[in-house]
Amino acid sequence: MFDVNELVQPEQGLINPSIYTDPEVYQAELERVFARSWLFLAHDTQIPKPGSFVQTYMAEDPVLVVRQRDGSVRAFLNQCRHRGMRICRADEGVARAFTCTYHGWGYNLAGELVNVPMQDRAYHDEIDKAAWGPTQVPRLHNHRGFVFGTWDESAPSFEDYLGDMLWYFDALADRYDAGLTLVPGATKWVIDCNWKFAAEQFASDMYHVPSSHASALVALIEDPAILAEFQQQSTAAPGRQYAGNGHGSGFGLRPDMVPTQAGPDFDAWVVANREQIYRRIGEQRALAVNGHNTVFPNFSWLTINNTMRVWHPRGPGQIEVWSWTYLPKDADERAKRAVRTSTIRTFSAAGVFETDDGENWTEIQQVLRGHQARRTTFNAQMGLGHERRGTDSMPGRVTDDMYTEMAARGMYRRWADLMSGLSWPEITERDKARQEREPEAHRA
Amino acid sequence: MSDTTTPTQQRHTDVDLATRYDIERFLYLEAELLDDQKFEDWLELFDDDIHYWLPTRTTRTVRERDLEIAGPDGAAFFDDDKAFLTGRVRRLASGRSWSEEPPSRTRRLITNIRPTRLESGEFEVRVNFHVLRSRAERHHDTFFGERTDLLRRIPQEPGFHIARRRIVLDTTTLLAPSISIFL
Repeated sequence: MFDVNELVQPEQGLINPSIYTDPEVYQAELERVFARSWLFLAHDTQIPKPGSFVQTYMAEDPVLVVRQRDGSVRAFLNQCRHRGMRICRADEGVARAFTCTYHGWGYNLAGELVNVPMQDRAYHDEIDKAAWGPTQVPRLHNHRGFVFGTWDESAPSFEDYLGDMLWYFDALADRYDAGLTLVPGATKWVIDCNWKFAAEQFASDMYHVPSSHASALVALIEDPAILAEFQQQSTAAPGRQYAGNGHGSGFGLRPDMVPTQAGPDFDAWVVANREQIYRRIGEQRALAVNGHNTVFPNFSWLTINNTMRVWHPRGPGQIEVWSWTYLPKDADERAKRAVRTSTIRTFSAAGVFETDDGENWTEIQQVLRGHQARRTTFNAQMGLGHERRGTDSMPGRVTDDMYTEMAARGMYRRWADLMSGLSWPEITERDKARQEREPEAHRA
Repeated sequence: MSDTTTPTQQRHTDVDLATRYDIERFLYLEAELLDDQKFEDWLELFDDDIHYWLPTRTTRTVRERDLEIAGPDGAAFFDDDKAFLTGRVRRLASGRSWSEEPPSRTRRLITNIRPTRLESGEFEVRVNFHVLRSRAERHHDTFFGERTDLLRRIPQEPGFHIARRRIVLDTTTLLAPSISIFL
């Protein structure tokens, strides 16, 4: 047995790394973290018409997300209730119905059991089909095209679960009049590391960029003098970090939305649509909130880099990364092409930024095979005691620098509260009490 | 971008044995340059208008099989032009490209070479590949699939330029932490 409060002391910035390796901790995470949190399932544009479906995962559980004939979305476990066979074996597509290949039980798009072969002879017409449909995801929420789901009937509403993070999420989700669309197809790959390394980095870690990604800009910029100047400027730029409810967002403050990361064709589109973006999310937010983000536990995106992903856990030592490129739905083809190619080149599994992250996390996980390594405390104290509020009135707890681990500490605090088995009202109450104990200058 | 990001619709004819020999020799040379990590020499094999592309793939039902490989507007692992390939090589030489520093050890097996001549005088060459990668102490990855190249004759050695490369892996979820090498 493990004691969560011995393993992590977020307020002191102390982490026992067995939380990244212990199979018992992992099984508890599936139950107490992933089955209780709001998880990203799909974007509207992945399932455009009645019968469109994608198979995704809620942690390790395969889930079908299906567009209904009335335009609504249903999600249910991709598991037949007879012997547990996967009902649908394609990653995505358009279906009229789903039929289990094992014994032929048939389900409609809503996930209701509608056909049992030889129902009269084999079941004597006694089976109650309404009672034997696949397990439905009981709560779904569509936020501006992003469909989230949770198994937990007692979880807070999606808006309360996000809290102030909603404002940072909307810097992406609410950015354009016509909304977002995804480049068709997820890019999927496997990294032998614990899911928390990835989730935490996207919540809280601007600090790794100059070192981990030292070579990425070399690929993008040919002239060494321009490269050096760019690196100096981006490291020296002022920045902010937000933390709350286990979520995190960090960013450097930029004087303009352009240049974007996607080159002149997308820059031109952004300039032409600048007023639209300012009108929707405000000039301050459009310029500032451009960086790394995690919605606890495992949905992350990089606003300006046009990439979002889910870190699906696969045991304590492995993740599947599912990543998508997002685009303004009504952008012209040249702008779309610019975004698509720049994101593929930087943040796919072959991307000049992305490959470095996988390398770090894989090595950490390897080192943690060691007994001594697993009991060696990690330092998550960056910025501890210096969590001063920014002066620019962004919502929630915001520090006046992007080089801090406030959001990592917040993530492990939420993780520990859930892992302790606290109820949602207890977690909310404790968060409130913790905030009240903080010095005035640090408070939201 | 020409439409040869997908296999061309032009009429294909067989090549003679001498041409087949030249093409096989060229492809083995290319594999050797990569396995020997002579990336700058490898870049010289590409024409200036190269499109180097590795689209993603999804598991689909037989009925939707034509949607299995992502199209030119879909998701991809690589979608590079000459300038970006050059940038990748510059990065590999930087000494700070941590997914290749220390470098991977690779072994490229290029087989089932099927060259055809197009009406344009160019060659379309389909090959099967199996690329093995060993990294660090005991990390091991394997990449396998099919490549379709468009080759153009050049007067000087090694006899061809690669003008298009489309790489299709047989995996949908990549069972590797990255593709920090070239395929």
